[in-house]
Amino acid sequence: VSTHYTDLQLDALRELANIGSGTAATALSSMCGTSIDIDVPRAAALPLVEAIDSCGPADAEVTGVAVEVLGDMDATVLILFTEADSAALCGMLGVEAGTEMGLSALGEIGNVLAASYVGALGSLSGLELEPAPPQVVTDMLGAMVGSVLLATAASDDVALLLDSALTLEGAECSLSFLLVPTSEGVGRLLAGLGVAA
Amino acid sequence: VTIPEVMVRMGELAVSRDPAEMLVTIGLGSCIGLALIDRKREIAGLAHVMLPDSGKNAERGSAKFADTAVPALLEAMTAAGSPRSSLEAVLVGGAQMFARKSESVLDIGGRNEEATLAALERARVRVAAVETGGTKGRTIRVHVGQGSVTVREAGGSEFELHAGRFESVGA
Repeated sequence: VSTHYTDLQLDALRELANIGSGTAATALSSMCGTSIDIDVPRAAALPLVEAIDSCGPADAEVTGVAVEVLGDMDATVLILFTEADSAALCGMLGVEAGTEMGLSALGEIGNVLAASYVGALGSLSGLELEPAPPQVVTDMLGAMVGSVLLATAASDDVALLLDSALTLEGAECSLSFLLVPTSEGVGRLLAGLGVAA
Repeated sequence: VTIPEVMVRMGELAVSRDPAEMLVTIGLGSCIGLALIDRKREIAGLAHVMLPDSGKNAERGSAKFADTAVPALLEAMTAAGSPRSSLEAVLVGGAQMFARKSESVLDIGGRNEEATLAALERARVRVAAVETGGTKGRTIRVHVGQGSVTVREAGGSEFELHAGRFESVGA
C-alpha cells in the first residue's frame, strides 16, 4: 500500500519511532516509577479508512490526548487510552479516573510522552519542533482519529502512521501512541535523516 | 431479528431501497453524515463527507468532498427512483474535537457543514434537520423504511433527530 514511501524510508521512520518511543518510555517510567515495555513500532502508509480501522473499533469510547506539533514539521501526536487503561494509570498515580483530576493526570502523561518523543525526533532529524499544550478528549475512537487524520493528512489519500505501544509492567495497561505528520512534514523529516525522495 | 446495517465509511456513499435496512456511520468527528430521504418511496441515501472542497483534483462522483458528494448522492438517489423534488436532507457531524493552531486546518467540521449546505442549496434540496458543530463525536443511523434519522453522541443515548413518516408518534 505504501505507494508514497520506499521501504528504506519506512525503515528509517520506524527506527525514528523506535528511538522516540524509547525516550518517551524512559520519561514515563521515571514519572510512574515502573518499568515499561515497548513493542517494535509500526510505520505504515495506509489509506485513511484503513488507518482509522487499524486503531481499533470506531465506536469504542476512549480518552485521547492530542498534542499538535509545530515548527519545521507540522504533525499531531495522539495518545489513546482505553477505559481500562485510564483506570489502571490513574490508579497508579493515585487519582480517580474519569474525574477532572484523572483527565488532567492523563493529559500530563500525554504531555511527558509527546514532549520526549518529539524532542528525540527533533534532535535526530535536526528539525526545530515545538509541541503545543496537550488537549484531553474522551470520545468515540473513530471520530477522534478521523478528525486528527483529516486535520493533519487532509486530502492526501494516504496517512502515514507511526504507531508504538507501551506496556506498563504490573499495571496491566498499555497505551497506543500515534504520530501523524503532514505529507510536507514527512518530506522534511526524511530529508533531515538523509533519505529524501 | 437483527436489522441489517449498511456501514458507510469515510468518503463513501450508499443508497438503499430496502425498508428494513439501516444506513449507518459510526464515529463522525469533523466529517458530515449527509442523509437524503424520500419518505414516500421509502428510499434513503447516506454520504460520509470528509472535506469541504475538492479543489482541482475533483474526482467526479466522489463522496469525499462536499462539493462532489452532494451531486453524487443526488445522482444515486435519482437512479434509485427518487426525483429530486421529493427529497429532504439531514446533516449530522461537523464537530471540532480539538482546537488547532495551524491556520490551514481551522475548523474543518464547520467548513464541511457550510460547504454541504451550500451545495444542497445550489441543488434546491430542502434541509429538514441538522445536528452539527460542538466538540462531540456522533453516530448517525438512517432508517430507510421510516425515513427517520437517529443520532447518538459519545457518552449519550440515541435520540430521534428526524421523525420521518410517523411524525405524530414523536421522539
